[in-house]
Amino acid sequence: MKKLISMMVLFIFAVVALAGCGSSGQEPANEENNAAGAGMLQFTANPEDFVRQGFVTKDGWKLSFENVYVNLANVTAYQSDPPYDPDTGGEVSGKVVVGLEGTSIIDLAEGDENAFPILVAEAVEAPAGHYNAISWDMTKIATGPAAGYSLVINGKAEKGDRTIGFIIKDENEYGYIGGEYIGDERKGIVTEGGTADIEMTFHFDHIFGDADTPTDDELNVGAPGFEPFAALAEGDTVDVDMAVLKEKMSAEDFAKLEVMLPTLGHVGEGHCHAVVK
Amino acid sequence: MKKYYTFLAVICLLVAWPAIAAYAHGVDITYGNTSAIQLTAKFDTGEPINGGDVVIYAPNEPAKPWGTGKCDENGSFTFTPDPVLQGTWDVQVRQAGHGGMVHIPVAGSAIQPVSTGFTTAQVVIMSASVIWGLVGTALYFSRRKS
Repeated sequence: MKKLISMMVLFIFAVVALAGCGSSGQEPANEENNAAGAGMLQFTANPEDFVRQGFVTKDGWKLSFENVYVNLANVTAYQSDPPYDPDTGGEVSGKVVVGLEGTSIIDLAEGDENAFPILVAEAVEAPAGHYNAISWDMTKIATGPAAGYSLVINGKAEKGDRTIGFIIKDENEYGYIGGEYIGDERKGIVTEGGTADIEMTFHFDHIFGDADTPTDDELNVGAPGFEPFAALAEGDTVDVDMAVLKEKMSAEDFAKLEVMLPTLGHVGEGHCHAVVK
Repeated sequence: MKKYYTFLAVICLLVAWPAIAAYAHGVDITYGNTSAIQLTAKFDTGEPINGGDVVIYAPNEPAKPWGTGKCDENGSFTFTPDPVLQGTWDVQVRQAGHGGMVHIPVAGSAIQPVSTGFTTAQVVIMSASVIWGLVGTALYFSRRKS
């Protein structure tokens, strides 16, 4: 009987001690992005439906595009910490950086009206994590028919019974730094053995305006539209570069063009910090 | 010796009392001091993003939206993050082809959830105590007198 009593006393002490050691039951969640290993990171370029499907400018010209060449250089993705703020500008604080070597001449008009964004290159062994910033340059193409230009837009404009073929060339060079992709899905999250993409987006409505957007919208107020280009047509053709435009376009329209061209580069719907080089 | 056994039985009942209470129409009420987050989204022009689409990403699942919503006419949106999920909460606001993202740190010291309930381990131990106490008491009263 004494043995039973002793066991009971010991048990009570054990119960009291263990009950006092109970936890609160709430543990903090771990911080994200502790992933290890590597996966594939695809770099894509997206001209959006504006180029793929054509669109009507703010001044009523229906544009379609044959070729839109850009020369992409120094394309680099970052796991930025802190996240990059394009409004503040400056350099990206990237703990992990994946860059592409060389340059890539991309035809943004490639593919049909429902084409996916264009694959520029792949980094097969990208360290896992969230690539939440990207930078790239648009530099002059070295060879071929577009040599000497960072951007060549070749297309057709229609309004009423008039049709104009146009080639607009830009000899300036630009640098873009964007933060995280803004869009329907979150991009740039590489998991071990997985595949993710990070996108360079180009907003051509910034140059020509968009008839589907209110006329007093900031976009249409700032965009030159197509009419200033149509005014320079010789016959049914416009073939101009920035030097010609500066000489022949009105000062007001050319000033708008100079402001809007650096804003072509986006990350989805997020704008970039841009510089003219 | 009899007083000692009675004292022991009372101790057992006192120890087991919370468990007994927990099984009698128990109500487990929790509360927490949460911090709501209000953000305001505007275009570069200063115009509020009226009706902007909001997507919230929690720190534990950065690829999957934790919640969605819309800004009010002033571009404002308020949400209360899950206090358990500490880290950086990312909130995206978009409208008319343009948007941005804000990154909000939620630290452990800012939000401290509190619960009045017992843990599973505590409930199990207390239940065992009740049973052990009842068995011991029964053995005491059923013992043969020498």
